[in-house]
Amino acid sequence: MGTEEESKDASAASFCPSDEEIQKWMGTAFDMAKDALESGEVPVGCLMVYNDEVVGKGRNEVNETKNATRHAELVSLDQLMDWCHRSNLDVRSVCKQTALYVTVEPCIMCAAALRLLNIPVVVYGCRNERFGGCGSVLDVSSANLPQTGTTFKCVSGHRAEEAVEMLKTFYKQENPNAPKPKTRKE
Amino acid sequence: MEPQSKRRKGSVYDTDSWIAYPVLSDEQSQDVELIEAFAAPILNKKETSRLVRELNGRYPLNGVQHIKRVRACKEKGTPHPLEILVCLKSDAPDMKVVSLDSLLPSDEVRHDGLGQPFVVKIPARSPLTRPQFELASKHWPTSFHEDKQVTVALRGELFSPPQKATMHMYMMSAVTAAKAAKDEGMEAVGAVVVNPVTEKIVAVGHDCRRDHPLHHAVMVCIDLVAQSQGGGCYTFDSHPGCQFISPRSSTDQNEPDAMKSSQPYICTGYDLYVTREPCVMCAMALVHSRIGRVFYGITSADGALGTKFKVHSQKDLNHHFEVYKGILGKQCEALNMSSGHITTECLEER
Repeated sequence: MGTEEESKDASAASFCPSDEEIQKWMGTAFDMAKDALESGEVPVGCLMVYNDEVVGKGRNEVNETKNATRHAELVSLDQLMDWCHRSNLDVRSVCKQTALYVTVEPCIMCAAALRLLNIPVVVYGCRNERFGGCGSVLDVSSANLPQTGTTFKCVSGHRAEEAVEMLKTFYKQENPNAPKPKTRKE
Repeated sequence: MEPQSKRRKGSVYDTDSWIAYPVLSDEQSQDVELIEAFAAPILNKKETSRLVRELNGRYPLNGVQHIKRVRACKEKGTPHPLEILVCLKSDAPDMKVVSLDSLLPSDEVRHDGLGQPFVVKIPARSPLTRPQFELASKHWPTSFHEDKQVTVALRGELFSPPQKATMHMYMMSAVTAAKAAKDEGMEAVGAVVVNPVTEKIVAVGHDCRRDHPLHHAVMVCIDLVAQSQGGGCYTFDSHPGCQFISPRSSTDQNEPDAMKSSQPYICTGYDLYVTREPCVMCAMALVHSRIGRVFYGITSADGALGTKFKVHSQKDLNHHFEVYKGILGKQCEALNMSSGHITTECLEER
């Protein structure tokens, strides 16, 4: 399980979005994050692009689903899979040619999920000091985990300050769904 | 204990057949790190308290407060039964020959009653577990604030026989779910979420990777728990092995606000039983879900609760939890063997 096909591997390794593409798609991701912030939701914008087409677009859905794993990335991955089924395309081969654009570094869980689906490249804005899985807390993106899909390339720092500011603004407000915090060790 | 030969057939289902061991943090499980220091024999016992006082003034044991200043001499019958720690090597002045004059040049510490100094190795960190304490003490005495629960857990004796019987039952449900997944041609992994207060199962799930590449047993269970709370975003209706049990549906009644605050919130306070160690994605999903404790049967190659990472005790994360492994180890191990590969040893156990 998990071994790559040689032919597609070469194209996956060289697969990387151009600066122009990064500008364009990260712009869309930031617009999504702003919309989320304005409606009081976690300001994270996230999209998956295959062949110059958005095949997944997600926002954090933790509160409405009561499922703490419904991060924007996983919501987008589900959309990508639905798109594949509708388009009658193989999820695995689409994922290998898909880039993820997200305003904040994916968390440890999402980074592992992206590996499991063989997403080759992740473009993100700011670091995620609380949960980051691409180096901030753990480096899941490049760790030696032969049973956990494939490693992926990270392109970070695009409009990072802006992304941080949005998060700060959001975290100043309290999460009304969380239980009253017990004494926090920090 | 009963000798092996006397055990009844099928005794693998006895709670005696497995032991739950804690999966501790790196800090709790690492070897004892040593640093060098200078010590000297105390030739005149009556000088001890003065020497301790004066040395504490001149060379306070900054950063190694766990170290005891004085130790009883190891060999019996030595003329000087006590030894005192003068200073850490890193705090000592540069000197060609180790001598009291170079270590204690000023009048702050009178040399009366001190013998020729020598180099010793002392534990650099405060011991966190009894095994660390015992190893550290072989080098130099240290203080130890024992966490009794960790000590008992490391001996594999944290859970009483009735507790083990309950844990056994929960893990058996996970094993049954794993077998259902296997029968459907998916990975033989099962998981159960339990409310330890009511001792009721909240959700049972198994691997559903054929439907969705991220539907590992733990991810399935997390969504089933969400469903039990009126949320969730998938349907597992086609898998009879994936079920959730709603808590008493008292929510319909007009409850006072005080009761509403005690409504379950994601997996807060719940225990998870899973047949094998979760992967990084599942381990972090459990952090996000604020799971109470995790019990697993066997380790896995890329496991993130002990093998490759210890996500449950990862610094910087906002939620930590206890992890125990080895629960129904044999039965969980047997799940991984395809029917063609069952060894005779395994068959004998059935």
